[in-house]
Amino acid sequence: MGTKERGRLASFILDDHRYVLLGTSAVAGIGMLLSSQPRPTLSFLASAFTVELVMYYLLAAWLVVSAVALVFKLTHWKTYAASAPFAKPAVARSLRYASYVVWAMTLVLIVDRLVLGVASDWQVAVAAETRPLDDELQSILYILWNGRGTFAAGLATTIELAVFGTIIGFVLALLLVFCRIQTVDPADNDFVRFLKVVGCGFAKAYSTVVRGTPMMVQAFIIYSGIFALIRTTGMSTTEINAVWNPFWGGLVTISLNSTAYMMEVLRGGIESVDRGQAEAARSLGLSQWQAMSKVVFPQGIKFAIPGLSNELIINIKDSSVLSVIGTFDLMFASTTVAGIYYQNLQSNMIVAVVYLMLTLVASWLLGRFARHFDVTPEPFGSTSDQTILGEE
Amino acid sequence: MATVHTSGSREPMVRIEGLRKSFGNLEVLRDINLDVMPGQVVTIIGASGSGKSTLLRCINLLETPDAGHVWFHGADLAADHVDVNRLREKIGMVFQGFNLFNNMNVLDNCTLAPVTLKKMKKDEAERVAMERLADVGLADFARANVANLSGGQKQRVAIARALCMQPDLMLFDEPTSALDPEIVGEVLEVMRRLAADGMTMVVVTHEMSFAKTVSDRVVFMDKGVIAEEGTPAEIFGAPKHARTREFLARYLED
Repeated sequence: MGTKERGRLASFILDDHRYVLLGTSAVAGIGMLLSSQPRPTLSFLASAFTVELVMYYLLAAWLVVSAVALVFKLTHWKTYAASAPFAKPAVARSLRYASYVVWAMTLVLIVDRLVLGVASDWQVAVAAETRPLDDELQSILYILWNGRGTFAAGLATTIELAVFGTIIGFVLALLLVFCRIQTVDPADNDFVRFLKVVGCGFAKAYSTVVRGTPMMVQAFIIYSGIFALIRTTGMSTTEINAVWNPFWGGLVTISLNSTAYMMEVLRGGIESVDRGQAEAARSLGLSQWQAMSKVVFPQGIKFAIPGLSNELIINIKDSSVLSVIGTFDLMFASTTVAGIYYQNLQSNMIVAVVYLMLTLVASWLLGRFARHFDVTPEPFGSTSDQTILGEE
Repeated sequence: MATVHTSGSREPMVRIEGLRKSFGNLEVLRDINLDVMPGQVVTIIGASGSGKSTLLRCINLLETPDAGHVWFHGADLAADHVDVNRLREKIGMVFQGFNLFNNMNVLDNCTLAPVTLKKMKKDEAERVAMERLADVGLADFARANVANLSGGQKQRVAIARALCMQPDLMLFDEPTSALDPEIVGEVLEVMRRLAADGMTMVVVTHEMSFAKTVSDRVVFMDKGVIAEEGTPAEIFGAPKHARTREFLARYLED
């Protein structure tokens, strides 16, 4: 046993080893600490007082045994492995089995005190007529319950903005990166040359402007700019709102913003493909477009997948700035609910947890997706990780 | 530099005239003139940085010449707006780094260009490719991933891939320089057979024995110019130029 290669945690749980006493003592300590906490209303141990008492003393007993072992170790430092009763294989194995009991008891206490504690607070919060003022957790849960419709609407919008923004951005980035990587070929006629120069120049300028300005500013410009543009047709504000509202403004902003970043990611992927690949394709007579689409791009996009999927995570988080133009996303929901209860901190704690769960789920899904292509995803990133001027 | 054509009145397949190429301030090719007759094997030798590879890459326009002309079958490749893609179909190239397409297997490497450019049916292209792969002794590797091949196998696939387009001219850019010494032979053997079959070849190489035994003409390049050219007997037997003697002496020491 223990000869097999295991992870450090798995080995700690499954193998006989010298840290079983020390490590499980920490677990036992946590259990005793929880046991000394007041019981929540839903606690099931409240009706089994003797059981908890026995558990408490068993945990204490483990600490005593560990303390004895520690003293033995300190006094027999050199010869511990040979002389200590704790180091004998049979004893070590029993200690490991005993440690399972300690963990199980601590787990029961965690459920009883923490899980059922939150559940009890939840019961109180849901039933409360007004916000409980004396208990922080009950207050947060009260806000979450009573603002649930607002939060859910904001959550749906945030997901829509992130998912559709990333997809639209990706499609546009594909088109734009195609313009960006054009180089004039001797075989091109003057018209094609003109198109290539203009296309490449546009892509460069677009990327520089979009990545060089804050998305919040872009959101204001796009939302009010297009609003003003529609106004010139003589439509009334109500009529305009029917076709152009903060949601569309936010979606356009986040899509155009992602386009620039994803284009740079794609360009990086394409440029990391060995130049020889394109040369070999061209030497066979393939055109620039054929070499790109059949040889270079399929390889480049594989390099770009980690960066591209990172953009979804970034959009989940960065869509929060769109609330400034009135896009009803999770951040806007938070501000709205906070305004009702004058509780900025508690409301934002709630959405922080929701954002974190969203990004964790998204990165887990993307990780599975990336594994299909045999690539490893990047850890969480931010748009500020990337340089603004794409030139190397 | 006037070239005496041993093959009589036939037109040269490749004619290079006054070719110049610079990279920034570095003049890599200075007034190159060279003819390659059909069926000839021309090897280009010379020290690293003498412009051999650049000259080769100018023949199929992987490098754009700054001045001068490269005629292939009478068409000036360096002229503006020439359909270089059509001309490249007839010029195969083999690279030092193999450059097999990493996103395809061996067979797809060979069929990509015939299917894309010659509008050949997939199964017809595969039949031709299998023949070419058999020629280089790799028919069993048709479905293999290119990453799993040895260097020598990769280079033989690269040769088969170029031959699938039925080129009139084959360019070899140091095809054995990236290979372990013990597998250089298998690639040279394929090239030898290709030469014996009458393929027109321009080979940049450091393999002096190959240059000596296979080529019809040897070109010695030094600092961007053709310092000396002639038959293998002339170049290896009685080099006229001091730089040629110096260069060959260094190689024959090995």
